[in-house]
Order: sequence, then C-alpha cells, then structure tokens
Amino acid sequence: MAGVWAQKMRFRRFVNHLRLLPYDPTKTIGFLICAALAYLILAPVLALLLDTVRVNLRDSAIIGLPTGKLTTYFLQRTFLSRVSDVLFWKPFWRTLWVAGAVCAIAIPMGALFAWIVVRTNLPGSKVVSRLMVVPYMIPSWTFAVAWISVFKNRRLGGLSGMLETMGFVPPDWIAYGALPIIVCESLHVFPFAFLLFGNALRSVDSQLEESARILGASSFTISRRIVLPLLKPALLSSFLLTFSRVLGSFGTPYILGSGVKYYLLPTALYNSYKVGSPGVAAVIACVTVLIGMSLVALDMFFVREYRRFITMGGKGAIARKHSLGALTLPAVLLTLIALCVTILVPLGTLILTTFMHRPGLFTVDNFTLAYWVGTNVPAMVGQKGFFLNRDILQSLQNSVWIAGSASLLCGLMGILVGYVVVRLPKSKVAAYLRQVSFLPYLIPSIGFAAASLSFFAVPRGPIPSLYGSMSLLILVMSLKYLPFASRSGISAMMQMGNEPEEAARICGATWLRRMGRIVLPLQKHALLTGVLLPLISGMKEQSLVIMLATPGTELMTTQILRFIDYGYTQLANATVVGIVGIIFILTFSMERLTGANLASGFASRG
Amino acid sequence: MAEIVLKNIRKTFGPSVVAVDNLNLTIQSGSFVSLLGPSGCGKTTTLRMIAGLDTPDGGELYLDGKLLFSESEGCRVPTEKRGMGLVFQNYALWPHMTVAQNVSFGLEMREVPKEARKKRVEEVLELLHIENLKNRYPGELSGGQQQRVALARMLAINPDVLLLDEPLSNLDAKLRLEMRTELKRLHQTLKNTILYVTHDQLEAMTLSTHVAVMHNGRILQYAPPLTIYRFPADLTVAAFVGSPPMNFFSRTEEGASGVFQSFLPLFPTLAERIHTVGVRPEDLHLSPAPPLDSWGYPAFFETVLPTGSDWIVSLKVDKRTVFSVLKEDPCLQPGEEVWVSTRKENLHLFDTQQKRIEIA
Repeated sequence: MAGVWAQKMRFRRFVNHLRLLPYDPTKTIGFLICAALAYLILAPVLALLLDTVRVNLRDSAIIGLPTGKLTTYFLQRTFLSRVSDVLFWKPFWRTLWVAGAVCAIAIPMGALFAWIVVRTNLPGSKVVSRLMVVPYMIPSWTFAVAWISVFKNRRLGGLSGMLETMGFVPPDWIAYGALPIIVCESLHVFPFAFLLFGNALRSVDSQLEESARILGASSFTISRRIVLPLLKPALLSSFLLTFSRVLGSFGTPYILGSGVKYYLLPTALYNSYKVGSPGVAAVIACVTVLIGMSLVALDMFFVREYRRFITMGGKGAIARKHSLGALTLPAVLLTLIALCVTILVPLGTLILTTFMHRPGLFTVDNFTLAYWVGTNVPAMVGQKGFFLNRDILQSLQNSVWIAGSASLLCGLMGILVGYVVVRLPKSKVAAYLRQVSFLPYLIPSIGFAAASLSFFAVPRGPIPSLYGSMSLLILVMSLKYLPFASRSGISAMMQMGNEPEEAARICGATWLRRMGRIVLPLQKHALLTGVLLPLISGMKEQSLVIMLATPGTELMTTQILRFIDYGYTQLANATVVGIVGIIFILTFSMERLTGANLASGFASRG
Repeated sequence: MAEIVLKNIRKTFGPSVVAVDNLNLTIQSGSFVSLLGPSGCGKTTTLRMIAGLDTPDGGELYLDGKLLFSESEGCRVPTEKRGMGLVFQNYALWPHMTVAQNVSFGLEMREVPKEARKKRVEEVLELLHIENLKNRYPGELSGGQQQRVALARMLAINPDVLLLDEPLSNLDAKLRLEMRTELKRLHQTLKNTILYVTHDQLEAMTLSTHVAVMHNGRILQYAPPLTIYRFPADLTVAAFVGSPPMNFFSRTEEGASGVFQSFLPLFPTLAERIHTVGVRPEDLHLSPAPPLDSWGYPAFFETVLPTGSDWIVSLKVDKRTVFSVLKEDPCLQPGEEVWVSTRKENLHLFDTQQKRIEIA
C-alpha cells in the first residue's frame, strides 16, 4: 500500500512539474542547448579524433582493411612514412616559416603606425586610424587575388597577368609561393597588431615616462625600461594571434601556392581530403586544432599574467603627443604609402581588371563593361557578366541565405546561451555552456569544418547525411561564430539583470510573452550585434566553407576559387569586388545601427 | 481579502547558507506587515518566496487557505498565477516602454479590453498623482517619479497582496517621508494586504500594523509596532529597535557588580534570573543629586550631540558609554559628575537565554 501511495505522490509531483514548464522553462532550455552543443560541437571533434585511428569507407579499399577497424596506419603515413614529407612535414615547416615571417613584417609595421597615430601629432590621425583597419575588414584573400592578377605568369593557364601583358614576365618566386603569401598575409593582418598596440599605447600614461625623465632617464632608457615592457602583452598577443590566423587561412595559400604545389597546413589538409586519404586529412586537421588551441590558451595565459601589472588608471591615461616637427612630411608620406599599398592598390587593381579584356593592355578598345553586364563574355564559354551570371547570382543567393540563416541562428543561440548562463548562475549547466560555446574559437576554421564533415557526412540517428546540403553549411557557420554571439549574449543579459523579467512575471506574463515583450526588446542591441557581426564574417568566410561547399551550394567566396581555377580572372575579380562592396555596406550599416565601433570589435577576434 | 500563511518555510543557498530557517508567519487580511531586520537576515528571500520568484526548500505556503506551495506535494503555483503585486527596490521599470505602457502591461496579460485598460491606467496614475507623466519613458523620470510608476504598475491589476521590497531605500530623506505618507494613505484607501520589507525601523514603526523582526532567517518577534518597542521579546529585538539604541548592563563573568548590581534590589524575586538590564535612552534622566523615589547611579558627563529637537548625551557609567536623550540642554562640562535615574517600570529585563522577563 505504502508503495502505491509513494508512486502516486511521485506521479503527482511529476505532473505538477510539467504544468509549471511554460512558466519557467529556463532549466529545460538549458539542458536542451547543452545536449545540442554536445552533439554539434563535442561529438564532431571526438569523431575527428577517432577518424585518425579508424579506417573510413574511402580508405578501406586502398589500404585493404575493413571499414571501422582501428589502425595506426594514418598516423604512420602522416608522420613517418616515405610520403610523410610531402603530406605533412613540408607543409608543417613551411607554415611555421610563413607565419614567422608574417609576424616579423606585420607586427613592426602595425606597431610603428600605432605609435605614429597614437603618440604623435600626425595630421588627420583619426581618419588614418579608421582607414588602417580596412585591410583587416576585407577578406584576407583579396590581396592574393589582386596579386595573382598582376604577377601571374604563363606557368598557370588562363589569362596572363598584367605585368606579363605589359611585357615583363615575373619569375615564379615573385608570382607564387612563399614570398607572395607572406606579403599578402602581412598586408591583411598588420591592422591587428596596429589595433593591439594602439590600445596598449593609449593605456600607457605619459606621466609614467615623465616620471622617468624627471629622475634623469634618457629617451632611449625610457623606451627600453618603461614603454617597451608595458607593450609586451600587446606584442605577445599580436604574435600568437597572427600566428593562428596564418594557420587558419586557406584562400591565400590556395590561390598563390597550389599552382606550384607550395602547400601550407590548411591547403595540405584540403588536398588530402579531396584527392588523398580522409584518414590522413583527419590527422592533419587534429594537428591544426592542437596548434590552434595551444596558441589561444597561451594567449589567454599571458593576458591573465600581464593583467597583474597593467594599471588601468582611474583618471584615464593621458597620452601626450610628440611633435613630429621636421618629420611631419616623411610621416605623412609613409602613412599615405601604407594606405595606398594596403587598400588603394589591391582594390584599384581588382576593379580595373574587371573593365579590361586583357588586364594590363591600356588601349581604348581593350576597355569593356562586358564582365559586369555583358550577355556573352569573350573567351569564357557560356559565362555572362557579373550582374547576369548565373553562377555568381546563384552563389550570391547561397551566400546571403547561408550567412543570413547562420547569423540569425547564431544570434538567437547566443542570446539563449546568455539567458541560461545568467539565469542559472553557479550551476553546472552554466559552466558547461560557457566553455562549450567558446570551444569553436579555439579550433581553426578548416579543422572545425573537417570535424563537422567527418561527423555529419554519414547519417546519424534521425539526422540524414548532411554532406552537400545547405543545412550543413548553415550549421557549421553558426557554430563557428557562436563564441562571439554567446559572449555578447552573456554580457548583455548580465547588464539587464533579473528584475525586468521578474516584474513581468509578477504582472502575469508567461515565459513566451516575457521573452517577446520584455527580454528580446531590451536585448535588441545585443541581438543586432550578435546577428550582424556573424553575417559580415559569414559573407567573407572561405576557410570554413571550402571543404563543405559542393556544386549546388557554392558560396561567393568559393565561386571565386572556381573562377581562378578556370582562369576567369575578370569574373573572379568582379566577384571579389562584389563581396568587398557588400562587406563595406554591411559594416557601415552596422556601425550606424548599433553605434558599435567595428575596429574595437575586431580586436577581440582571432 | 487575502490572508497569507507560511508554515515551516525553509530556504538554503548552497550547502552552508541558511537564508530562511523554519519560518512560521500568518499575515492577516488587510494588514500592513513589515519584515524588519538587518541586511542578509532573509527578509527579501521570504518576500520573493511568497511572490514565487524563489522556491522554498521545504514547508508550505497558503493564500486564503489555497495552497500556493508545498514541498511534499511538489505543488507550486507559478508567480504568474499568484496575482500579487511586487515593487522592487530599484523599481525595475521597463525602459523601452512609456509610463502608460508599463502600467497597462499587467492588464494586457489579463486580457482586459483596450477601453477598460485605458480607463484603469488613468485611474491609477491619478491615484498616484502622476497623470502628467503618462507618455514619458522611465529614463526621463526622477527617482521619486519612478517609484510612483512602479507602484502604479502593480496597483493597476488591483492585487489583494502587495509586496514591497525596500521601496524607499533609493530615495532621499525628503521624498522618503512623502512616499511613506503616500503608502499609508494608499493602504487606508485600498485596504489590501501589504507586506513590506525594510531595514529601516522608522519605516517599519510608522507604517505597519504589525512588525516581524527577523534575524538570521528567523522571526524573533511578531507584534504591533508599539508592542515591539515597549516590550521587546528578546535582547536582539531590543537592541535593533530604537535609536539611539537601548543601553544594556549585563552580569559579568565574575558575577553581579557595579551598576548591574544596583538594579537587583528592585527585583528581589527575580534577582537570580536577570542577566541583562536595558534602559532606553529617552527613559534615562539626569539629575544633579541622587533621585529620591527611583533608581539612580552616579555618572560622568562626556559630550552632547544636539539634533535640534533633542539633545543626545553621552555619559560614562562605570567606565562604559551610556546614552541619554533629553528634551533640553543639560548645560554640563565634560567630566562633570551627574546622576542618571529611571523608574522601575522603564527597565527591560532579560535572562541568560536573552529572553524577556515579564515583571509581574
């Protein structure tokens, strides 16, 4: 009898709990998101790890082992075999070398301009500091596309480069490989160092230097003993994050390297996946994930370590500006040259080429609008100009659809994660959500794509194989940007606090009405940022989607690579110009809508 | 009509923090009850549990005999269905809605037709004298105005129970008096049940029909304000209520001596039980010579703090500081000897358990 009664009580309690669900589903939502993120983020990473030691379908025929069998074959092949040099070690050392060289160019360049803009009376320094960030806003491979349009030689098919048309044939080492990759990556990432050093310099109070001067230190001693040590965190951060950007970027080494078989880790990974062994690709992907994670971990460690001696003056640091004096003209010239080389020349070249039949031939009859509005583009079978081109319009539609859905999904997830984390403080759910939603930040894009691909390429339970589908691209993109959205979601929810929602509860509003009438309207701003920032990133995303895009789901960014592969220079360049245009418009409207300064937003991303 | 009953309500935060400890309380319909206590004593938690914003760990909660919460039954009426009003300490007005929208929100949730809603909003705004602020946003209001809007928002739904969580603590002194008057007027007109959380004894004493003094998650005394003032149930209540605080004289470890010893002959039958004797400063009088018909003890004048209406005098009695509140300037020099005196009825006696000893 007692057992029946206890059971009855338990049932009643269960029913009562169910009845309460519509009023406070925070815990339920929390558990659902936890489960979803475990499945979407943790499981793919584990699957990738597993793929390094397990025979997959494609490899099984070649190596003669049954699918699913555990093996060390891929590890041996990647690290120890005769082909390991080609497969892994060469790209690995090259990646380190390129990344190191990029750091050596971009960081001094960024630091120098940061000092000029922040610490001297350079005329128009406000405008300069905004323009300096532009190369970082536009996609990294823009520079590579511009480079190849100028320096391409007859080694690759298709139209010749501008220089060759003008009668100068650039040697291979200028056209392809290490040098152009280093230059292009440096031009793209130097604003990152510029931002980091700029912020650091702004926080160094001039009074610190003046105190040293009063105690009798020379300018040199002051720089060495006072200023440089205070800039160390910025130096380390820009070093580590520049490194991880080079590690994660696919477009530039693909455009400038694959023609001459100069592979870096991202392109080697892609190559292994497309034409070689997926098992080896998984091993390479794991290596990139590992390096990426340790770089970010190191950065976070240093940031925490240095926070101990960075003084955030309550009064606000006063950065006294040095007078440039006679150096004004050289400084202005240097700045102008830098802006020309990083913005005007690449974008100008790209735009110019789209109006020429043969880029580099400056005769009147060589200029044309065919590549923008032509119905039949000469020398490109079946292709039309940019605005009429089916491939481009389709890819534009895909890009908008994919980046749009992904950013909406991402923004919504960000707010939900923020909501759950703030509403269930100190719970295990909150701690777990904080960490898992941050995980994609640590994983280089191409590694993350590889992981998702290896997990979702086969049907899993109720979910069919997603390879080649739009939903896979949307899913992966929204997860990759989740760290930014969830961070902004958490901080926005924290700022709002509990009371507004509790007041609505008191007034009798159910959860859905509270969300609709109170929480979301109050989070409009955060939601907008949480959607627009991923949208902008999504429109220029290439490393993440290159492995996932298929002929039906081509994005604008991947369409560019197809055009380059075919040698359709003008169409490729027109598409790049199109993307850059879209990004400028989006960035501008975002600054207008949210009042957020994008430059500062970018500084926090890796 | 709304009577709230709390039975054995418990609430802990984490393994070690007991916020509310086995609380029993009956709030009669139509009364104005204050939960008075220092910060961290569990009074806000109690209020939030009654509102349904926090869930007790155990116990039962009734509103008019209807079960609101029961741990053993797993029953919990959600906040949204309790139909109470709650005014938050920082008002929690929705910044994206105008005053009128804020006030009409609760009515919308109850699906009141638009015309009736409009009428009710105007009624409530008028009741609180803020009809001219209708179309402003909360950000455009002063603290006192926000306070009125927060009250109006809750009064709009005409709740039987109105919960107020330190509503006046963010206002300056002048506005506080104004809002106190306003609250008392509202209670007298609307006659709903009000539960008022405060750490300010003046608010509790002046507004309430009953005061519950809370300490460490327990209710030490629950009585009308004057009863609490005149007959504090234990030492903590006596010490907490009244300003300047009551003067205490205790038995020391060595036994009864000095000033404490001097009280004992007044209570020959209780002498063994008394552990502490308390006198309110306003009951402690000064005289140049020993009083003839009441208790007296020599003291030394230290200094005087004139407030304008009173003179707060600090004295040394047996090397301890004692306060007295006088209606006129004592005109004494520091170090001057004087006698403190009081009548037997004004003494509060407490036993070793700190409980009040009733004088038969």
